[in-house]
Amino acid sequence: MKQIRWRDFSLVSKIIIEVGMIAILLFSMNMLFYARINNSMQRMDNVYASNTELTELSQIFEKVQDNMYSYLKVKSSQALLDYYQNEAKYRDQLEKLNEENIDDSVKLLERNIRKMSETYLDCTAETVAAKRGRNVEKYKRKYDETTKLYSYIQSSIEELNNLMFQENSNTYSVLRAVMRYLEVSNTIIMLGIVAGGMVLLFQVTRKMFVPLSNMAETAQLVGQGNFHVKMHDTDAQDELGMVTRAFNTMVENLDLYITRTKASMEKEQQMMERELLMENHLKEAQLKYLQSQINPHFLFNSLNAGAQLAMMEDAEQTGIFVEKMADFFRYNVKKGQEDATLGEELEAVDNYIYILNVRFAGDIHFNKDVDESLENVRVPSMILQPVVENAVNHGIRDIEWEGKIHLTVTGDADYIRISVKDNGKGMTPEQIESVLSGNKEHCNEQSDSTGIGMNNVISRLELYYEESGLVEINSDGENKGTEVVIYIPV
Amino acid sequence: MKKKQTNLIIFLVLAGILVVFYITGESYYEGLTGKSNQEEANSEVYRYKYDMIVDSPDSSFWQAVYGCAQEWAKKNDAILELQESSNDNDYTKLDYMNMSIASSVDGIILQYNGEQGLEAKINEAVQKGIPVVTVMGDAVHSKRQSFVGVSDYQLGSAYGEKVAEYVTKDTESILILLKKNIDDMNQSQIYTQISNAAQAKAGDSQSIQVTGKNLLSTGIFETEEAVTDIFQQKDKVPDILVCMDEDTTECARQAVLDFNLAGKVTIIGYYSSDDILTAVEKGVISVTCDVDTEQLGRYSIEALTEYQKDGRTNSYYNVDINFLDREAVRAMRREAQPK
Repeated sequence: MKQIRWRDFSLVSKIIIEVGMIAILLFSMNMLFYARINNSMQRMDNVYASNTELTELSQIFEKVQDNMYSYLKVKSSQALLDYYQNEAKYRDQLEKLNEENIDDSVKLLERNIRKMSETYLDCTAETVAAKRGRNVEKYKRKYDETTKLYSYIQSSIEELNNLMFQENSNTYSVLRAVMRYLEVSNTIIMLGIVAGGMVLLFQVTRKMFVPLSNMAETAQLVGQGNFHVKMHDTDAQDELGMVTRAFNTMVENLDLYITRTKASMEKEQQMMERELLMENHLKEAQLKYLQSQINPHFLFNSLNAGAQLAMMEDAEQTGIFVEKMADFFRYNVKKGQEDATLGEELEAVDNYIYILNVRFAGDIHFNKDVDESLENVRVPSMILQPVVENAVNHGIRDIEWEGKIHLTVTGDADYIRISVKDNGKGMTPEQIESVLSGNKEHCNEQSDSTGIGMNNVISRLELYYEESGLVEINSDGENKGTEVVIYIPV
Repeated sequence: MKKKQTNLIIFLVLAGILVVFYITGESYYEGLTGKSNQEEANSEVYRYKYDMIVDSPDSSFWQAVYGCAQEWAKKNDAILELQESSNDNDYTKLDYMNMSIASSVDGIILQYNGEQGLEAKINEAVQKGIPVVTVMGDAVHSKRQSFVGVSDYQLGSAYGEKVAEYVTKDTESILILLKKNIDDMNQSQIYTQISNAAQAKAGDSQSIQVTGKNLLSTGIFETEEAVTDIFQQKDKVPDILVCMDEDTTECARQAVLDFNLAGKVTIIGYYSSDDILTAVEKGVISVTCDVDTEQLGRYSIEALTEYQKDGRTNSYYNVDINFLDREAVRAMRREAQPK
């Protein structure tokens, strides 16, 4: 069987038990006091009982004498009857009086009264008998005798009454003293019990709630971020025991969760970093991929042209052409993976135009207007040449009139404006829209291009500067020429 | 844990104090209420009950006698009641005798003083089987069982001797104050003895007037009035005043002081109460007769006890008397003092 322990009781039970015990104690003391006081009250009630009895005795005694007298006077049978009745009564009453020789004034007086009364009753009996026997002389003599005895007895009774009254008064005052004592002692005991009970209740209740205040302190520490404080372990089964254990568990779990959250946040941070890195790599890869889209057909065509030139004349011009070709490809290969200065880009465009003019016998009229102070600005490589190539291939090729391409580079505080303008076939707004949104990619003829389309340029510009809308295409309509503007953020 | 123990200790101490307090209270309470009961319980029951009927039961003489007698009575399985009226009813010795007879006591100790009908009462009591012992005054002609005290003859001769000592050639009158109902003073042994002794001392040439005065039945306070009367008639103030009981002696002493007659009147007193002894020491009273109260009390009870046991007893118990003058009193006081 499990041992019943105090600390396993619930708080309510504990308090009820304590208060109940004190209440029971108070109640029992109260009952005890009540019994004591009741006892005293009963005694008090009986204090003067003896006086009452004695007065009764005296009254009956008087009746006996009166009855005898009236019988002697009138000789009525009613008086005689009364006399006998009262005599019997008086004898009964006498039985209560002491008849022993005891050294006590009251007892002795009682004895005297009893003995005298017996003599008196004998005497009255004789008197009555004499009256009945009409012995006039005798009943008169006896009557005198009884009257004398009557006065003795009455005065003795009176004396006894006084004595008893005195004694009873003493007893009464003693009882009064006892009552007073009871009052005082009861009050003191009650006060003692109440005070003791309060102290005990206070002690026990405080002890009961000590864990609570401890918990409050601990909770404050926990609130300040200290998760290593703990309540003393307890196996009490009361509410506080449960709360204490729950609190400890809570603190432990709190610690655990915070550690876990910290770890996951760190992980997330790492992941974000990696993601960023990956994005970078991706961008780079994309760039490389885009750069590697250069069409090798161009190279073969150009090389064919170089070969033709070399066959026609074994001269300087071929050398320049091949050199320009070499420059162009070198640039292409070299700058394919990094950025370049605007100057280098322009040079690549020059080389390209030269190569084209060699190919198409000077059909392309290209001129440029460049703010030379901007030549050192770094830009993504291979952005101008595709635009110029587009202007050649889609703008001025196959036109009836003389094709011209004009390139201007101007700058303001925010942007460098690069404009490639031709007087070719022009574009419809749908075409412009289609080019700018990159849908035109698929119709890229792979025949005679460096391989880098408009789409590629726009993508690379946007990736590089992380900004959109850097390319603008303006055309007034069919056969009215096209202007491609590139904005380079400074 | 420690705290718990101290709590427990505090609780136990508190409880203990309360219990002790309660127990003492209870015993106090029991003691108070049970006192009267206990007294009753301790009261012994005696086989015999004797009554003592005397002239002035409140006087220290009779109180002393009663004290001794009661002591002896208790030793002989008897209780002695001194008849005295605590109420105002003025009972005579006859009434007391009536009461004692009616309450059928086992014996009566009576100071006989010649009151009328008292002898008949003694006879009535004896007839009803109640032994009567007379003390100090004898009812010679009654059926009393015994007499305890000094016989009139003895007392008279002793007083006579003392009176004779104080009789000088200037002594003219001697007054004897008695409480005895004697019709003819000349028949009183005391009177005769004193008178004879005084005359013998004075011789034939000198005539001394010896007067006896009965102060009995003069009622309450009248002893004092009578004595004062004697001293008021200046030419009738006796040279020697013989007092035959305690009350008279004290009255005489007071009268002598009041009338500034100390040294002029020779008082021969009776009994040795503190006041009387002091008066003797101061010379107000010349000499006082001391009756052995212890013997008186003891012999009375002895007489009754003997009668109850054997149905008869000595008819006469003699009690010692001696006279105390100034020297004797001083010696007595000196003896008493170191103790």
